[in-house]
Amino acid sequence: MKQTEKTPHISDALEVATKAGYILLENGAEISRVEETMNRIAKHFGVDTGNYFILSNGIFTTGKAKKIKKKNTSSLSEQFADVKYIPLRGSRLDKVVLVNQLSRDIEQGKHSLESAAKELEKIDKLPAESKLVQTISSGIGSGFFCSIFGGGLQDCFVSAFAGLVLWIFALKVSIPHMSKLLGNMAGSFLAAAICILAVKNGFGVSLGHTIIGAVIPLVPGVAFTIGIRDIVGEDYLAGTTRLVDACVVFFGIAMGVAVALLVFSKFFTSLEI
Amino acid sequence: MIQDFDMITQTLWFQAISGFFGTIAFDVLFGVPKKYFFTGGIVGAAGWTTNVYLSWYCGFSVFNSNFCAAMVTTFLSRCFAVVKKCPVTVFRISGLLPLVPGVGIYQTIYYIISDNFSKAFETGFTALKVLTAIIIGMVIVSGIPNGVFKLLKKFSK
Repeated sequence: MKQTEKTPHISDALEVATKAGYILLENGAEISRVEETMNRIAKHFGVDTGNYFILSNGIFTTGKAKKIKKKNTSSLSEQFADVKYIPLRGSRLDKVVLVNQLSRDIEQGKHSLESAAKELEKIDKLPAESKLVQTISSGIGSGFFCSIFGGGLQDCFVSAFAGLVLWIFALKVSIPHMSKLLGNMAGSFLAAAICILAVKNGFGVSLGHTIIGAVIPLVPGVAFTIGIRDIVGEDYLAGTTRLVDACVVFFGIAMGVAVALLVFSKFFTSLEI
Repeated sequence: MIQDFDMITQTLWFQAISGFFGTIAFDVLFGVPKKYFFTGGIVGAAGWTTNVYLSWYCGFSVFNSNFCAAMVTTFLSRCFAVVKKCPVTVFRISGLLPLVPGVGIYQTIYYIISDNFSKAFETGFTALKVLTAIIIGMVIVSGIPNGVFKLLKKFSK
């Protein structure tokens, strides 16, 4: 144990807290949870003057050291201010779980400031689920959600296939190379096209149900639910940002499907959903 | 005969299975840790089956059945969050996914784009009703004090 760890600098403590908040917010935690966790971490490391202002895509942290009577301490009149911009991205709930666990461990004194920072770094770099597993689960999800929304067995299989192709497309093309709106439009166009071709060739019964199932992996469930949760928890600014984000995605999906139906109505008759 | 077999999906037990595996599939996409898959699936299946059962067999309206289902989902999420020692979010997000009217909103926008305003109004209003029901259900159960759920702590490993 080094000497410095016993009286940590205020900036170090708040930096760790901000990093934890960053990971939480980036991966789809509610504002109240982010605030609570940051406060918990900072308090444990002796900073109870921290102020946090959290939006859904930014964290503002400021802190000021209390007057310490000891001499030779650089933290005598130390101040800390930090602004972090956080782009709205997909969610990784495993990171939320891990940071939550870490903050509780910190509270129980299991971590020093340095080991906590190291641990956060490790959580941040956690690899995602393999692409194959993601693709398969996208297909499975599409199939079962088609049945939830009222499709028959054949429709479910068509949906599952379209969901599978959709996720391959999302991983290979739309996520790395396209903007959010364009990516969703292209993805849902592809899914709807597959469904139309399949149904018109006799592989499905109800076009509407197959398309709903197929585009379900694109529907922003997390953004939507968390947005509502934030608004209910009185974080209106963050909540509306997330809901608008979700609505842009909904719009993209609807546009993609509409374009697909428009294009294919030149080749097939009675396309309706 | 094929027609009958095709509609096997619209039976209660198949809906329960769909809720279970559909929720787990989205757990994978949302990056939920593997150890919570089974519990998450149960939460999703319970919520969705409640909704289906109430609206099919008890004649509940869209609002009421979704309200009850959201209450069941949030309640179970909070119970399992204590038992499994993890944030409620993990179970709640994917558990509510079958209920959340994402598809309703997408359909509304689709109908607006395709100039079918009466349909757009209908689906949009239904989506709004479902949304309100879910929010109220969620808020009511969120209001239960934490102490009630702490009683479940003895079941956690």
